[in-house]
Amino acid sequence: MKTQEDMKKELHAWIVKNNAKIKAEELCNDTDIIRERIINSLQIIDLLLFVERLSGTSVEVEQLKPGAFKNIDTIYQNFLERQGDEQCNK
Amino acid sequence: MNALKQTANRLFSISQNNYLNPHTALVWPETLERSQWFMAPELISLNGSPVYEELSEKQKKELSFWEAVNFFSLNIHGEKALVEGLAQRLYRRELADVAEYLHSFLDEENKHMVYFGGFCQRYAGKIYRDRKLKIEREYAYGEEEFLFFAKTMIFEELADYYNLRMGNNSEIELTARRINLIHHLEEARHLAFGREIVRYLFNKFAAHWTGEVLQNVRHYLLSYLEATWKEYYNPDVYRDAGLDEVFDLVDQAWHSSASKKHRQQASFRCVDFFVKEGILEKNLVV
Ligand SMILES: [Fe+2]
Ligand SMILES: [Fe+2]
Repeated sequence: MKTQEDMKKELHAWIVKNNAKIKAEELCNDTDIIRERIINSLQIIDLLLFVERLSGTSVEVEQLKPGAFKNIDTIYQNFLERQGDEQCNK
Repeated sequence: MNALKQTANRLFSISQNNYLNPHTALVWPETLERSQWFMAPELISLNGSPVYEELSEKQKKELSFWEAVNFFSLNIHGEKALVEGLAQRLYRRELADVAEYLHSFLDEENKHMVYFGGFCQRYAGKIYRDRKLKIEREYAYGEEEFLFFAKTMIFEELADYYNLRMGNNSEIELTARRINLIHHLEEARHLAFGREIVRYLFNKFAAHWTGEVLQNVRHYLLSYLEATWKEYYNPDVYRDAGLDEVFDLVDQAWHSSASKKHRQQASFRCVDFFVKEGILEKNLVV
C-alpha cells in the first residue's frame, strides 16, 4: 500500500529523472515546476500518464483546475490524495 | 513571400475545384462489423510487442478498431488547435497575401473533424481525451509564428503517413478507408503549403534569433515530435481492447525496436525537410 510519502517520493523521482535541469536535492514538494520551467508543456503529457498510473484513475484534462500541476504537493492533492487516504485507512 | 504566395494561389484554386460537402462525402453504415481491420496491422501500435503475438486474429481486429478511434481522435485534437490558430491568423497583415488560402485550409480542417468525429461518435460513442495542456510562455520575435506552422507540419506529416497506407488499402474496412483517403487528398495541399510557409517564416525570423533561441526552438521541435508520437500509444485504447496492465503495454510498445524503426520511417519526410532547411541540425529522431 502506498502512503502519501511514497507517492510524493515517486513523483519527485520521476521529475528528477525526466529533466536535466534540476538535481534531486534542489527539488522540494513546493517547488513550482511550471514557472521554473522544470517541466514543459510537452513533458506534462508524460507526467499525466505517470499520475494516471500512480492513481489508477483517468485524468480529464479539460476539467483540470489551474495550478493542478504546479508542484508535487498540488499534484498529490488534485490527483492522488483520495486514493492515498483510502489506502492509509485500510 | 513570392514563392509562398504562388503556392497559396495554386492550392486555393485546387481547393475550389475539389470542394467537398462533408455531409455527403461519406455514407455512414448503421453499424460496423467488428471482424474487420480498421487500422492496418503494421500500423497498430502494439505490433512488434510480445503481447501482440499472443492475441487471436479476432482480438487483433478488435484492437485495430480502438486504434483507429485513437488515430481519428488525435487528429481531431490536432485539428482543433489548428483551426484555432488559423482563425487567429486570418487577415493578419504579414499573412494577408495568403488569406484566401487560409480560408480553404481552415474550412477543410473543420470538415475533417466532421469525418473523424462522425466515425468516433457513431461507432465508438466517444472521442479519446486529449492529454495536451497549454502553458503560456514568452516567445522571441517570430518564434510563436514559426512554431505554429512547424508543429502543424509535424502533426500533419505523421498522420499522412498513416492515411497514405490505409486510404487505398482494400484490407481496411470501407468507411475507415474512405476517411483516410479523403483526408490524404486534402492534406497533400496542406503539406505543400506547410513546407512553403515554414521555409518562409524560418528565413524571415531565424536571423533575428540568438543562438540560444535557435537551440530552444530546435529542442522544442524534437520534443514536439516525440510528444506527438506518444499520442499514438494510448493506454485507454488497450483498456478498451480488453487488455491488462495497460501502462506496461505503453512502455513495451514505445521501446520495442520495431516501433522505433516505424517512428523513424514515418518521421523521415518531415525531419529530412527540417534538416535540409537548416531548421534542425541533423537527423536526430525519437
Ligand atoms: Fe486534417
Ligand atoms: Fe490538414
